Amino acid sequence: MNSLWEKFLEKGKVENCPVYDMHAHMGTYSRIYFPYGEFDSEKTKQRFDRSGIKLLIFCHHWTLFSPDIGNTANIETVRKLPEKLRAYCGVNPNYPEIIEKDVDEFEKYKDVFVGFKLLADYHGLPITHKNYAPAWRYANRKKLLVLLHTWGSSHYNGPQQIRKVAEKYPDARILMGHSCHGEWDEAVKVMKDFPNVYAELCAVVDDRGGLEKFLDKVGSKKIVFGTDWPWFNHHYYIGAVLDSGLSDEDAHNIFHRNAEKLLEKLIY
Amino acid sequence: MNLEFFDANSFIGRPMNGIFKPAQSGRDLVIEMKKQNLSKAIVWHIFQYEGSPEKGNRMLAEQISGYSELYGCWTILPPQTDEIITQDFFEKMKENKIVALNAFPEWHRFVLNRVSFGEFFENLVERRIPLFLTMGRTCITWESLYNLMRDFPSLTCILCDIGIWGVDRFTWPLLEKFPNFYLETSLLSLEEGGLEATVKKFGSEKLVFGTGFPVRYPKAAILELVHADIPDNDKEAIASKNLERILREEKL
Repeated sequence: MNSLWEKFLEKGKVENCPVYDMHAHMGTYSRIYFPYGEFDSEKTKQRFDRSGIKLLIFCHHWTLFSPDIGNTANIETVRKLPEKLRAYCGVNPNYPEIIEKDVDEFEKYKDVFVGFKLLADYHGLPITHKNYAPAWRYANRKKLLVLLHTWGSSHYNGPQQIRKVAEKYPDARILMGHSCHGEWDEAVKVMKDFPNVYAELCAVVDDRGGLEKFLDKVGSKKIVFGTDWPWFNHHYYIGAVLDSGLSDEDAHNIFHRNAEKLLEKLIY
Repeated sequence: MNLEFFDANSFIGRPMNGIFKPAQSGRDLVIEMKKQNLSKAIVWHIFQYEGSPEKGNRMLAEQISGYSELYGCWTILPPQTDEIITQDFFEKMKENKIVALNAFPEWHRFVLNRVSFGEFFENLVERRIPLFLTMGRTCITWESLYNLMRDFPSLTCILCDIGIWGVDRFTWPLLEKFPNFYLETSLLSLEEGGLEATVKKFGSEKLVFGTGFPVRYPKAAILELVHADIPDNDKEAIASKNLERILREEKL
């Protein structure tokens, strides 16, 4: 057993093991009641402090689901709690004119954005579609993060589509949100084939076994921690990771070291 | 704080498929429980669901005998077919340390309502025998669950595996209307602030601790409850005392 479990159990957080949540959201959402849906910077900070969240990177629900609101929701929220928050610039391929504008203005919001978020299963166009190209090219040129919603067997953001963008944009750092959920072996193959592709754990730990497979076949240096917060609770996810039989080194890699490396030149 | 945990949601037996590592036997589960610092568990056998409730119930009884930490949960089918529910059913439950029942109406292809289960469920209500239902495993729809609780408003019902997406809009009306309706926490814990919000609205007495093992990680639900933003006595109630009270009130 790793020694971090006892420490997290005792205090809820561990000083030398900060946690970076690389996949989160903010705001209310029509299909779910979130007790912490309404953003309040003090309450949010308190919740993060309970589990040692050092930084959380999100894309606001309203950005993803309303082109009328767009990335304004991300910008306003990060600037209310800049010591704990950064955002992914939300990309909706059904509005290419908004993507072009957001890419043009990306530099203006270096204090807010660390990359892009694509939600192809919901927006209905595969991540390889030409409408995403301005965001992909920019991410590739600037070595930004691109958080994908991915799912096994999806024709929009499944393993086959990830292969195509990973090959075409080798300098973009691609985080497979949900790690091609269910198609764990394919996720392993993609990570092995492409150094710029990482597993992200949101929804992976809902079922025991997926994380263990990643640790065994790919190793902890290719895995980042994420929760879809406020969909899911940080302590729940930290407990799940620590119950997977991993070593302290692996846990440090997953909770913070890999994120620190990925974000090294992206935090201003 | 040191909490004593009574797990309301775990099963034994190897499933037909699945990526998780199961506890094949009662002994395997007890070993895992010791590792996780869980004191007691109500357990069922996966074959009750996947293969045969009748044979699975017998396999469960064999596996838990001899382990004082384990209590059993048998699967029921409509009484009319005489597959499970016989004249001496409650005596058999008692003999085999079975303290609860579960049902998978959608998967086992029957309707869980007064037409199918009228007299039997009146008996369950009187004896205060808990019925476990799950929102996973193609078990029951929300509409059917609402109809069941309307048919038997005093039924002791513990709803498990409530879903990956937050379901407060479904569960809170049931918690509000039915005094013996409870939620198991393994997936309620998954939702940010879900545990705290439910306790604030309905009290900690409406929640019972569960791990969802072997599908889910016990340490996930444990860490969330230990560090939930609620008073210690509420944590103790959820961790074990509520389920102990439910079983104390049972008249087998």
